[in-house]
Amino acid sequence: MGFWLELAASGLITGGIYAVVAIGLNLQYGLMRIMNISHGEFLMLGAYLTWLAHTTLKINPIVLLPVVAIALFLLGVVVYRLCFRRIARAAPTVEVIEARSLLVGFGLMFLVQNTVNLIWGADLRGYSFMAEPVDIGGARFMANRLLVFGFAVAASLGLLALLRWTMIGKAVRAMMQSPTGAQLVGVDTGTLHPVVFGAGLALAGVAGGLLSMVYEISPSMGEPYTVTALIVITLGGLGSAIGSLLGGFLLGLVEAFGMHFTNPSLKMVLSYGVLVAVLVARPKGLFAR
Amino acid sequence: MRGVPLALALTAAGGLVLATLPWLLSDFLLALALSCLMFAALAVSWSMFCGPTNYLSLATSAFFGLGAYVTAWGLESMPYGLTVLVGGLVGAAFAALIGLAVLHLRGAYFAVITFGLTELTLHSVTYIEKTYSNTAGRIISEAPENTVIYWTVLAVTLLAVATAILVRASRLGFALSGIGGDEERAQTLGVNTRRVKVIAFSLSAFFPGALGAAMAVRWTYIEPLSVFNPFIGFQTVLIAMVGGAHTLLGPIVSSVFFSLLTEFLRLRFPYAFLIVLGLLLVVLVLYLPGGLASLFVRRGRQHA
Repeated sequence: MGFWLELAASGLITGGIYAVVAIGLNLQYGLMRIMNISHGEFLMLGAYLTWLAHTTLKINPIVLLPVVAIALFLLGVVVYRLCFRRIARAAPTVEVIEARSLLVGFGLMFLVQNTVNLIWGADLRGYSFMAEPVDIGGARFMANRLLVFGFAVAASLGLLALLRWTMIGKAVRAMMQSPTGAQLVGVDTGTLHPVVFGAGLALAGVAGGLLSMVYEISPSMGEPYTVTALIVITLGGLGSAIGSLLGGFLLGLVEAFGMHFTNPSLKMVLSYGVLVAVLVARPKGLFAR
Repeated sequence: MRGVPLALALTAAGGLVLATLPWLLSDFLLALALSCLMFAALAVSWSMFCGPTNYLSLATSAFFGLGAYVTAWGLESMPYGLTVLVGGLVGAAFAALIGLAVLHLRGAYFAVITFGLTELTLHSVTYIEKTYSNTAGRIISEAPENTVIYWTVLAVTLLAVATAILVRASRLGFALSGIGGDEERAQTLGVNTRRVKVIAFSLSAFFPGALGAAMAVRWTYIEPLSVFNPFIGFQTVLIAMVGGAHTLLGPIVSSVFFSLLTEFLRLRFPYAFLIVLGLLLVVLVLYLPGGLASLFVRRGRQHA
């Protein structure tokens, strides 16, 4: 019993991180059609910021999470202003926005990843934080992983609540349903787009900060998360935040159980197999009506 | 079309000039020329399908890797030239297969699924090799001479350019542009869009397959991570789009530009090079969205 609980929990913990990363990416895509392939790089930046502040200034990484979130939010607003606003204005069709933002994303990926490489080198970095085991219901967990899971779920649910019940959330949802309609009733694209882009990066940064408490970090840590996030948002449906949350957990569980029943070297085959199967059978996502 | 014989003649003439390079250049410069040719062929064949239709395929690495594995598995029992042909056919067959399954998807979905399929192929090959052959990679012991490889890659490149010229002037090319403009309208006008897309996608995948098979002998050690490297696909897309995927010359010019830039900067400043590449890419997309080719088109129009 304890064993299955541990297996399910490890799937859910990974899934929680996937969900946070994917929701951010999905918001950017759903609202602005920006395929931000550099999303994982900002996760990596979040992880490095947390690591740097924790190891040099001895600040508790949990306290750092909001700081990282604000820093990446501001960075996101700047990146949006400098790169994506121009694309959105100049592009004649949505497909062109997707293609060009993908290219700019690649550019940003090279830029950010190698800047970090240049400053801190390619070595793995890390610190130990709350790495003691806790027993729950006959299963053992590392305290830091439970903490990461808690924060990941809290961040995701917090964002969903924000979308559901606040004015700005309403504006975002209206914008996703009908950009022209939303503009007609007075939603200001000029402020909403940078804010949502920044919020996406803030979520990525928080995910990075959380990951740095559990795993070692390196400049190339972001890419796999970008790819996983792409898988998750296709599972959950492009533009659906709650779909991303469920998709994240689902993928985490599929990976954990799949690896247990088959073998660890099949992990990637499984993830991509799920992606391809879903895209072929239900291209609008698992939860589309 | 009137320009076709001229374009083909120019391609043949260019090919003849390029074929003399092994006698003129040092080994280092020849390797550089080889890398230019490879990326030119990849970018031209990518643009053949993706340019007119506005599809964004990231599956180039899958075709390339499959071709490379044809050589790795078959070089002992087949002559080199045959592996290149078989590699191309395997690439084309694989593209037809996945085309039938996923070409109804558009935009970001298509980009994501082609990327996913590439990774799926990569990890499946890794798994098959590990389980059934007990190897992580393969050693290629008997490689042909560098000049033979160069001429083979040149031949594939010329074939790719000639095919691109012919496709652009054919009914297939018009149908592809129609699909890119408005797929439903093309369908209404009697284009069997599904068939056209599968044929063109498969045709364009022959070249990365053949190139993978031809280039595999350059590396003595082949492993899935190096030949299915998604970076090959990304770089192809970047080169084609920076050059202008709607044009024929754009991808060729930008592949030379990129290969030279990569070769000269990468070795000396590995990180700074990629930072510059990233910046360049962002700036190019923002300020020259039609690609390098749009510079010349615009100038041409002003003269007219």
